[in-house]
Amino acid sequence: MAHQVHAYHMVDPSPWPLTGAVGALLLTSGLAIWMHFHSMTLLTLGLILLLLTMYQWWRDIVREGTFQGHHTPPVQKGLRYGMILFITSEVFFFLGFFWAFYHSSLAPTPELGGCWPPTGITPLDPFEVPLLNTAVLLASGVTVTWAHHSIMQGHRKEAIQSLTLTILLGFYFTFLQAMEYYEAPFTIADGVYGSTFFVATGFHGLHVIIGSTFLAICLLRQVLHHFTSEHHFGFEAAAWYWHFVDVVWLFLYISIYWWGSCLSSVERMPVISAHPVLV
Amino acid sequence: MAGRLLLRACTTTLQLRSGVLAPLHQTFLLFNFSGIPTDEEQATGLERRTLQALKQGKDPYSILKPKHYAGTKEDPHIVPGIGTKRLVGCLCEEDNTAIVWFWLHEGEAQRCPSCGSHYKLVHHELPH
Repeated sequence: MAHQVHAYHMVDPSPWPLTGAVGALLLTSGLAIWMHFHSMTLLTLGLILLLLTMYQWWRDIVREGTFQGHHTPPVQKGLRYGMILFITSEVFFFLGFFWAFYHSSLAPTPELGGCWPPTGITPLDPFEVPLLNTAVLLASGVTVTWAHHSIMQGHRKEAIQSLTLTILLGFYFTFLQAMEYYEAPFTIADGVYGSTFFVATGFHGLHVIIGSTFLAICLLRQVLHHFTSEHHFGFEAAAWYWHFVDVVWLFLYISIYWWGSCLSSVERMPVISAHPVLV
Repeated sequence: MAGRLLLRACTTTLQLRSGVLAPLHQTFLLFNFSGIPTDEEQATGLERRTLQALKQGKDPYSILKPKHYAGTKEDPHIVPGIGTKRLVGCLCEEDNTAIVWFWLHEGEAQRCPSCGSHYKLVHHELPH
């Protein structure tokens, strides 16, 4: 057996980066083919390959860390940096959509009626389901912290209970948001309001689903005794991601749902032309 | 009679909770029967070797910052090595951007060709 003098993990050769790259290629080209030629074959193939890659790559990481002990403290530190950098990149991703929203809503064009929400748009009441969604996500932030402390204190049953509750709250949010999407009086095609609303909240919803999936994997691993009270970084990464999703929602709620729905009557007044037309 | 039975039940419970079970309870805590293992129980492989060594004050995998030495003839920088030579990079002064690299061989202490600090290679066994 080869012995190393450092604490880092020199990974074994793996096919998953290649299959992931091929999957990404098929997914993107498949998307283009679907849009132009109505065929979903390439897209489906790419999706399957990508899902298989994710499953097997992450399964291998669990094997390397939990079963083989390759995740020494320095390796864990690297994983922490990695997760933080990834979440930071996601912050910038959402920043773009917030920029788009504020660009259009702070100076609404004449085509919109010079006001925000634009003429003809009935926004959702921020104090109905959106407020409930806010409470649901905030509560899930509490339960995930409860789960973390349970793990650190070695309480298996409580950890499983609180993590399950967190996931259920995540599912509840997704369910409520799906209902809102179905019932909304406007669509993505309704001008820039529809575009900014559904793209920003849509990507957020996708991230809620991703976060819930990550937490569900952690629940499975916790049930299977993978985590120790000191070493449970997979769970911490999922919790960080979940808090990030929660914070994005808070910004969405304040900006799009609340501020974006009830601008003062001044903004709602039509812009007075420099050359008034005599009727 | 029911009253006496109730009294017996209460006192027995209190006795069990405070006196008899306390040492057993502490044993349970020590071996973490509340369900989640500790690193001591479950860590394996290189992670386990790393943690066990650090607990004994040893650092065979060079995780911690090297000990500080004066670098004089009497107090040379001790460089652990598994072979007969090891590369040393000397940062002669703080904030220097040019690192002075040289091979440190076993035997007598060598001096950095730039600042003259003393370095001594000390043989260590390959960690298993």
